[in-house]
Amino acid sequence: MVSLDASKMTVTEVNQAIKTAAKKGEEITVLNPQAQHNIAVCVLEKCKIDIKGSVGYYSASLLDGPDVVIEGNAGWAMGENLMSGKITLKKDAGASVGASMRGGEIVIGGNAGARAGIAMKGGTMIVRGNTGFLTGFMMQKGNIIVCGDVGEAVGDSMYEGVIYVGGKIGSLGADAKVEVPSEGELISIWNELERNGITEKPRFKKVVSEKKFYHLDKLERMEKTVL
Amino acid sequence: MCGISGLLYKNDRKRGQSSIGADLTKMLDSMAHRGKDSSGFTIGGEDIPDDYIIRVWTEDEEHAKDVLARAEESVAKVGGVVNTKHAVGQFLRMTVNYEGEVPDLAAALLKTKGVEVHSIGESSEVIKDVGTATDMDHKHHLSKYRGTHGIGHVRMATESKVDITHAHPFWAYPFPDITVVHNGQLTNYHKLKRHLEDNGHHFQTHNDSEIISVFLADTLSKGATLEEALKESLTALDGTFTYLVSTRDGIGCAKDKWAAKPLVIMETEDTVAIASEEVALRRVFSEEINRVEPQENEVMVWSV
Repeated sequence: MVSLDASKMTVTEVNQAIKTAAKKGEEITVLNPQAQHNIAVCVLEKCKIDIKGSVGYYSASLLDGPDVVIEGNAGWAMGENLMSGKITLKKDAGASVGASMRGGEIVIGGNAGARAGIAMKGGTMIVRGNTGFLTGFMMQKGNIIVCGDVGEAVGDSMYEGVIYVGGKIGSLGADAKVEVPSEGELISIWNELERNGITEKPRFKKVVSEKKFYHLDKLERMEKTVL
Repeated sequence: MCGISGLLYKNDRKRGQSSIGADLTKMLDSMAHRGKDSSGFTIGGEDIPDDYIIRVWTEDEEHAKDVLARAEESVAKVGGVVNTKHAVGQFLRMTVNYEGEVPDLAAALLKTKGVEVHSIGESSEVIKDVGTATDMDHKHHLSKYRGTHGIGHVRMATESKVDITHAHPFWAYPFPDITVVHNGQLTNYHKLKRHLEDNGHHFQTHNDSEIISVFLADTLSKGATLEEALKESLTALDGTFTYLVSTRDGIGCAKDKWAAKPLVIMETEDTVAIASEEVALRRVFSEEINRVEPQENEVMVWSV
């Protein structure tokens, strides 16, 4: 077990110490993060990191493997580019949480800001509270589960993936539509929530791409003529 | 990118303990990575025995003394009595007794050759300079300023020159005590500026952010509350913005429809602290407390 006091080290020193300890498979505790940016970035080992307080922008981003618990708030773009592992944030996240994430799991105990899950390419994001403007903007894969309300333009320009909304939808984004999830889907979401200590069981709505603007796997006109 | 911050002390106990100038300096210092071109402060709610605090500056370093003496003469010419004055290089702070109309006083100063008016306020003043917040504290002794509320800014210039004139906060000439700090870019600046100029308003700089303060002052002068004026700005202004305004009675914030620029707020029974980043709030609240992040099209106001 390694304990790092972020108020007495630079962020670079904290991150280097985390990487060294992670390679040895040790459990890591970060004290007094004081909302500084870039804490616990680019950790590529399976390990446990407990951050005792709030973190700033891009914290716990570029991760592949760790199980991170943040006992406070996070700034913009927390968990950006997550490949695998899990980030549990106890309070609120800023904008663009989980931007471009490709795998793993992000669980937010409070609310998230605008553009949660922007350009998400896989994995699961659970938000116990509400999310802001443009939730799931341009997402390409994965699941976003919001137990509370979502803001305006949810699912704008999304390609694939699903946004489950437990509360109210501010408005739908361009090319997004609402579907009713099956009972089986609802049960599996509720189970997933329960595994993360969330006992509420909202009747989720499901926001998916309407695919009117979706041309990615369509053949070009010239290709069709060749075929 | 720029960094903005705001602060309001809710009661006399807090006002007695802390200094708005010192706390804002700490907050802005923690956001130095958001801009090092210039820094600026509005200190509001100062307790002065005189009618107005006037802050002027001159670009003319060589003849600064003469230019600033001319500013003093201009105040006297329109009937103002300068009770205290304090010059730091090219900067001059005066407290003045004056019974006339503020636009006449402001116009007299504006016409004085070489003089630039940073602010006229009944209880607030603008202090702005190039360099970081800590540099400014050393030069202008910000920690001396107590007051009840204030706003601050660190600038990474995007739209206009890096100099003291284009540093934030921007005072709404000639409306006392209305100043703004802004993070973002306004795209309908020229159109809105022409419209306001056609209605008799004057702009002192070529910075897009100045238009916010003049727009708010114009709207307030037509009888709107601060909250109404902030709401009106959401549709009148085009572009990306999160801004803070300081008035005689308090502070307010507004965020654009894209929620493109950050802002977080922490509030206790003593204090409201607002900043672009939580790292700045931690300089005034060391303990973990809940925060609020305004969403798109949201405005908030706090009064002393």
